[in-house]
Amino acid sequence: MLVREIMKTPVTTISPETTFLEACRLIQEKGIRHLPVVEDGVLAGVITDRDVRFATSALCPSPQQGSDAVRCAMRGSVLTADPSDPIEEAARVMRSHKIGCLPVVEERTVVGIITNMDLLDALLKLAGVYDSTGRLEVSLDDVPGELARLTSFFGHRNVNIRSILTYPNGKGRIRTVLRVDTNQTLPLAEALREAQFTVLWPMPKPWLR
Amino acid sequence: MASVIYHPEYRRYDFGEDHPFTPARLACLTDLLASLGYPISAVEPPVATREEILTVHDEAYVAAVEALDRGESAAGAMEHGLGTPDNPIFPGMDLAARWLVGGTLHGARLIAGGADTRVLQLGGGLHHAARAKAAGFCLYNDLAVAIQEFVSRGWYVAYLDIDLHHGDGVQSLFYESDHVLTLSLHESGYYLYPGTGHIHELGSGSGRGMKINIPLEPFTEGDDYLEAFDAVVPQALSWFSPRVIVVQAGADGHFADPMGDLALTTRTYHALYTRIFDLAARHTEGRVLFTLGGGYAPAVVPRVWALLYLTLMDLPVPERLPGDWMARWAQALGPGAIATLHDPDPSYPAFAGGEERRRRNRNTVSRLLDSVSRYWY
Repeated sequence: MLVREIMKTPVTTISPETTFLEACRLIQEKGIRHLPVVEDGVLAGVITDRDVRFATSALCPSPQQGSDAVRCAMRGSVLTADPSDPIEEAARVMRSHKIGCLPVVEERTVVGIITNMDLLDALLKLAGVYDSTGRLEVSLDDVPGELARLTSFFGHRNVNIRSILTYPNGKGRIRTVLRVDTNQTLPLAEALREAQFTVLWPMPKPWLR
Repeated sequence: MASVIYHPEYRRYDFGEDHPFTPARLACLTDLLASLGYPISAVEPPVATREEILTVHDEAYVAAVEALDRGESAAGAMEHGLGTPDNPIFPGMDLAARWLVGGTLHGARLIAGGADTRVLQLGGGLHHAARAKAAGFCLYNDLAVAIQEFVSRGWYVAYLDIDLHHGDGVQSLFYESDHVLTLSLHESGYYLYPGTGHIHELGSGSGRGMKINIPLEPFTEGDDYLEAFDAVVPQALSWFSPRVIVVQAGADGHFADPMGDLALTTRTYHALYTRIFDLAARHTEGRVLFTLGGGYAPAVVPRVWALLYLTLMDLPVPERLPGDWMARWAQALGPGAIATLHDPDPSYPAFAGGEERRRRNRNTVSRLLDSVSRYWY
């Protein structure tokens, strides 16, 4: 999944001479938290709702007036993303710098923006929660061919896999979360167990153990 | 007055051997009632027309069903949820599904016309079918067609879904309607199909606050299920003031059902049916339309639905199952099938985690009421 697939366009931008009052109005009206600042067509900084509130607050050592320009409060040297970056790269940058957005820049022009909300949307999409599906969790040995064995199990039964996520789960094990397009997840879990898979969910009924 | 609706053609809704949604369930049930001395005298409904199906489904979808039915390869079969392990294509499926819709719709018309108050449709309950998609064994949404019939007469309808699975198809077809309250109790969609039915699904537009979901923890037992029901359903009905209640009475929440993880017993179902008839007496002058639904344990389903029939008809509930019936169905019922209508008490060995499940279920109900009650009154 690439940044261009999840970024928001068009982007609401302001200039360094935009007033705090105007920036605040845009943030409120559009329900957004981040405003890229563009000067002469080039990204010059970013100002966030928190920057606006603090710069104009009594708690600020030198509080600004609503009619002042945002230039003094904006953050320069902005970290950006390229439309063709994979989203995990964007997520890694945002996480390691603990920032809430990346303007997406192409040829020095701002063409989009991604925020942590867009990454949450991507997570939901990756997890397949938008389809009518059942969920299975299987623990696999972390060796070549195990995932193939699992997916061919579903293929042979004509069961469509709508999403599949895997992550390391302790020593030498890979936890695999599948969303499958069938009502019959419990019988499938039983059949998986018979085929020597370690099924974590659905569990066998506790009153039958 | 109470009526039962049934047509022999319902048995054509058959996805084939090894498919869990088998019409043998019905045959076993009607035979049990006859053996108990209560042979059903059913009203035979007309088959639903194509136009009636189109009151809730897209024309393109119905056309795809018809084409596949004729053996033509229709574009986008998968996109319409057809030809999957859940919804295999079989010859005659369009007509078979229209028979089931016809029964539920006829039940709605009997009630709307004032001929009946309590109606049990011995079939249908295809609550997963969406506007343009078959899903979870459901081809055409008979419940939605019946509800739409009431709505077209200006009626306010409360839909109550006690199937193991979330009633997603009915909910989504009426998501914006302020004439339809949907209430679904089900095993949580965190794991179980269809994955929806969370407490934050409340409806939209003028239907906001009128779509209510009570997702319960896997392995939830009867007392906790009834507690959640009592905490939400009576006050929702009281607020909404429906003119009729439509109930999808799936029996797959039973502890022995192979499709899910709720731990209800025949006693839970009996208590639920009594509650529903009491609520109908209080809120809808007794008007209630029941359909069947999911339920996949052959030794369970006929007993649970026999209880529904006996409660509906105000008949005494016998203790023993007839020996001749048990002998006839021995193979389907499996070895060690119990010989009583009710499950033994206790029905299964106690198991751990009850306190934690109760805490989580109570928390779910309280969060649901916090978020939905702001739209009420």
